[in-house]
Amino acid sequence: MEILDILITPSTFAATLRMAIPLLLVSLGGLLTKQAGIENIGLEGLMLIGCFSGFTINYYTSSWVLGLVGAMLCTILLAMLFGLFVISLRAHEIVAGVALNVMGAGLTTYLLRAIFGVKGSFTDPRVVSIPEVNLDFLSGISWLHDILSGQSILLYISIIILIALDYMLYSTRFGYYIRAAGENEKALASAGVNVARIRYLTLLLHGALCGLGGAFLSTGYLTQYVEKMSAGRGYIAMAAIAFGMAMPKRVLGSVLLFAFVQSLSNRLQICGYPSYFTDMIPYFITVVVLAATSYRSMKREGRLA
Amino acid sequence: MNGRIGKRLLTPLTSVLALVAALCVGAVVIAINGDSPIQAYSSLLAGSFSNMHYLASTLSSATPLIFTGLGVAVAFKAGMANIGAEGQLYMGAMAAAVVGIYLPAPSVILIPAALLASFLAGGLWGTIPATLKVRCNTNEVVTTLMLNYLAQLFTSYLVNYPLKAEGSALGMTVNIQEAAKLPILYSGSRLNIGFLVAVAAAVLIAILFKHTSTGYEMRFSGENPNFARYIGINTDRRMIQGMFLGGGLAGMGGAILVLGIQYKFVQDISPGYGFDGLTIALMAAFNSYAVLPISILFGALRAGGVTMELNTNVPSELSQVIQATIILFIAAQVSFSGYLNDLIIKVRHGFGRKQKGGGELGDS
Repeated sequence: MEILDILITPSTFAATLRMAIPLLLVSLGGLLTKQAGIENIGLEGLMLIGCFSGFTINYYTSSWVLGLVGAMLCTILLAMLFGLFVISLRAHEIVAGVALNVMGAGLTTYLLRAIFGVKGSFTDPRVVSIPEVNLDFLSGISWLHDILSGQSILLYISIIILIALDYMLYSTRFGYYIRAAGENEKALASAGVNVARIRYLTLLLHGALCGLGGAFLSTGYLTQYVEKMSAGRGYIAMAAIAFGMAMPKRVLGSVLLFAFVQSLSNRLQICGYPSYFTDMIPYFITVVVLAATSYRSMKREGRLA
Repeated sequence: MNGRIGKRLLTPLTSVLALVAALCVGAVVIAINGDSPIQAYSSLLAGSFSNMHYLASTLSSATPLIFTGLGVAVAFKAGMANIGAEGQLYMGAMAAAVVGIYLPAPSVILIPAALLASFLAGGLWGTIPATLKVRCNTNEVVTTLMLNYLAQLFTSYLVNYPLKAEGSALGMTVNIQEAAKLPILYSGSRLNIGFLVAVAAAVLIAILFKHTSTGYEMRFSGENPNFARYIGINTDRRMIQGMFLGGGLAGMGGAILVLGIQYKFVQDISPGYGFDGLTIALMAAFNSYAVLPISILFGALRAGGVTMELNTNVPSELSQVIQATIILFIAAQVSFSGYLNDLIIKVRHGFGRKQKGGGELGDS
């Protein structure tokens, strides 16, 4: 199979890891709120705000660290606004999530015009991209070196975040509260825990992770801001969360799968083949898996009743 | 119920309040940008209503929005949280384009056939999540969102490969036949008879829900499925029908874009009309008559935004910021009007009995 030789190369796997970073960060943010009982369909909007604010702050400070921190602060602010409406004002979460998406798309395009005076995309040498880690000691094993060397430092940071979140969710009191807020908020409240506070704290982490994932896109993956550059990754993250049943390790698995599919798509496109069907895979898998799991749990509940 | 009376008064009031609040937020954003909010807003208003030409372009932008707004409203009434109007619109637009390009027929047959095709395509696309919800209990919010992307990618494939016009750089079909173009209502604009069809659709939907048993059963299945089932309504069937109708209307919105505005299917044809439809349906509290003025308002934001951008420094995306703010306030309004409703009932009943206020989406 000639086509497989073109598709399956070390650089495909290297690209998979690069694409997995923003997806993983945003999915981790999304799974936290899902565990806490909030479905936020506004991941795409938050991510876009992260892209734009990370890029802009990086532009003015010429520091990638400040860019990342600034992006996280901006998305935290927006996530808190979402929390204010959803938790305190009891607004419908789906509707508020749509508002986040519209706000993200509108505000970033508006500000791109207002601040930089351009439409479409913007880049500037003042923007410092997030450093990459070269692993020269691997040069003996060339395929491993090709895959792992030169990856962004955020790859390692996001792996640490994944391990930390997994530990937090299943081995700490706070993680237990988060899961309880999602599974049985009345029981949690009657145990004397302030459910709203737990949810606000979860949204804080949620915002920070979406900001980080977004800022990686505009100052790591590319060093350029492109209008609507999140390009549906927020929705793919939702798919990864649904496919991974909101558990960090499983979500990592689905993120890697979806990122691999995306990098295959890109290679297909470069080679002149239509990539639309490979692009559809994450959405398609999610619909099928959601239908299958909900059908199974319906059957199980039916038997119990 | 006493609660209904209070709510009927409150919904328009809170919708107007949400609009005013959103315009204030927009004014702050404009002022931060260093422009004059009054100048920007008056330019926006002038660019959407000040003469017949502007009015026509406002109404033509409003036409697809009426369809998606109605589509979302109908589905929600039948108990389906339809976030998938965007995808239904794409499928409808594609079906209309295929019929408009290939069916050799005179206008009298061709236009109704293209509209019908768009209705069927959007409707069938809508029945996928509805069937999954009814048969497998699958959350329709996530599936409709995913189906949006599937529709967009699928139609993009079609216009980039099998249906691509020779020699075009972008993904697009060839132009539809002259006979398939919707007749223009006001010359020099793109305002077409689609607008009249949209108004007629709103009236028909209102009649369906007010005066037919089908509509009544659909609404009942959405509002209280358990009780509806108990009194012998086939709720599964009614919910799927509601989604078919809703998806079909959103699909007709796509047909308007193809037959009345672009005259071909262009890749990524909709700038978010499906999501606008969601906002409109919520603001209208799922009332099909209320969808009309609100769609016109949103059409004005789109049409006037362009003029505003030309005359002032304010980018037209401001209207999206305003829109997002409206959505947030409307989302909060449902529970807010619940509180007010409780208060009215309490005052009326001398603070004696406690009644539950509406906090649910489908409650209107």
